[in-house]
Amino acid sequence: MKGVDVLYGDVQAVWDLSIHVDEGAIVALVGANGAGKTTLLKAISGIIRAKRGEILFSGKSLTKIRPQEVVDIGVSHVPEGRRLFSKLTVFENLRLGAYPPRARPLFEKSLERAYGLFPVLKERKNQTAGSLSGGEQQMLAIGRALMAQPHLLMLDEPSLGLSPIFVRTIFELIGTLNDQKVTILLVEQNIHQALKIAHQAYVLKTGRIAMSGRGNELLANPEVQKAYIGERWGKPR
Amino acid sequence: MLKLLNVGLIAQGFVNGILFGTMYGIAAIGLSLIFGTMRIVFIAQGSVIVFFAYLCYWLYRLFGIDPYLSIIPIVLAALLLGIAFYYALFKEAAVLKDRISSLLIAVGLMFFLENFMMMAWTPNPRAVVTSYGFYNFSLFGINLTLTRFIGLLIAILATLGVFIFLKKTLIGTAVRAASEDIEASTLMGINPNRVNVVAFAMGIGLASIAGINIATTYSFDPVYGFDIAIKALIALTLGGIGTVHGALLGGILLGLIESYGTYFVGSAWAQAVCFMVFLLVLIFKPNGLFGGTSQES
Repeated sequence: MKGVDVLYGDVQAVWDLSIHVDEGAIVALVGANGAGKTTLLKAISGIIRAKRGEILFSGKSLTKIRPQEVVDIGVSHVPEGRRLFSKLTVFENLRLGAYPPRARPLFEKSLERAYGLFPVLKERKNQTAGSLSGGEQQMLAIGRALMAQPHLLMLDEPSLGLSPIFVRTIFELIGTLNDQKVTILLVEQNIHQALKIAHQAYVLKTGRIAMSGRGNELLANPEVQKAYIGERWGKPR
Repeated sequence: MLKLLNVGLIAQGFVNGILFGTMYGIAAIGLSLIFGTMRIVFIAQGSVIVFFAYLCYWLYRLFGIDPYLSIIPIVLAALLLGIAFYYALFKEAAVLKDRISSLLIAVGLMFFLENFMMMAWTPNPRAVVTSYGFYNFSLFGINLTLTRFIGLLIAILATLGVFIFLKKTLIGTAVRAASEDIEASTLMGINPNRVNVVAFAMGIGLASIAGINIATTYSFDPVYGFDIAIKALIALTLGGIGTVHGALLGGILLGLIESYGTYFVGSAWAQAVCFMVFLLVLIFKPNGLFGGTSQES
């Protein structure tokens, strides 16, 4: 994406921002609350419109099209707070994940893949999504997004509010998915883990890019350590 | 007072309440569906119901079509009308998520229909009087009017149909998902207009069934619709927004309250009792009695 501005009413949340996500890479967006990370993902998936600039995906412009078309092109967004349909069953949530026309004929195959990645979802397929634990809900949210057979998967704070065990599971999963040729755009508060896994990372500050580089470079950068990670987390324990 | 406590009459009141209540129930399901995706109280629902009652009356008087035979063309016309109404009146406002405008359009539609019906059919009450309209039969010592009994069966079938549609079809599941979180549903590739129009057409379709039930069992006039809309809203509140069975049970409960209210304190006070229960439920169980889960913001 190039030179993107996003406004909420009169409040500008993202300023002239350009990022690039390589095919097959894991790219992390990190930064403090209110830095514009979530806004950026929403602009890509079309929930909010970019005021200026251009968002391109495999040469196609996403700037003018509606969210339901963005997901059909191959960009899935796992929103912050998971946003599951809590009164629907696990199976129904997954079924709706494959709603886009491109994904519909692949439903059986996608379902097998989701159940393969998360066996617990198969066990609980007839339970309502609201009855799952936080970690299971995050798995369902990711599984639901994968049902659309995305080329680019955008994850907004997938580790938020999860126990350390689930956090590790989620990060392992991101690696696994990336091995399966899914490009990942990751927004995380868990900066240490995110930078460790990312090929490329951008540090956002009040709607602008403050720093960018390879994940492990940024991790080693003293400025990043001081501002976002803190001594205890910066040093290997 | 003691002479009122007659088991036979109480049983009769129970049956009448249920017969009446299912009509409120299907009106409430329609409101619930439309509220679910578009987040507006479709206040014109009652007038739409009365409009279809007139249509049924008209087909009977002009062409001699039996009201129960006219169900198929009327429901089909209602579904088409629902689609037309949505695209002509509500789409623009719904796309902009402008609920105030949607609500105002619904109010406008209600007044338009009321006045249209007054011009077309005069303000005098009408009723569909068929040869079998007064036929009564007795079941376990309770008197039943044939038309009311058929009305009950139709209402139950319609509810079952809606329930199965929402549960089993992909677009039905999408409607339920959009009712919970419309933004997340667009991330799944669901077109908000598609679910809105499906929910709206179903709401109008249910209104047509309620209209046929009214035409065959009661007399109606052009402004009766507002009363039905308010009752459907109360039924919806009693049952809790968001579930089909909740709305139906809410309607039946309201029918029972009205029926027993009329029996014990007279029909004028029965209305007061209805509103009192409505207020009490709003105060103590704002999520409704049968809905269970809370309505998300």
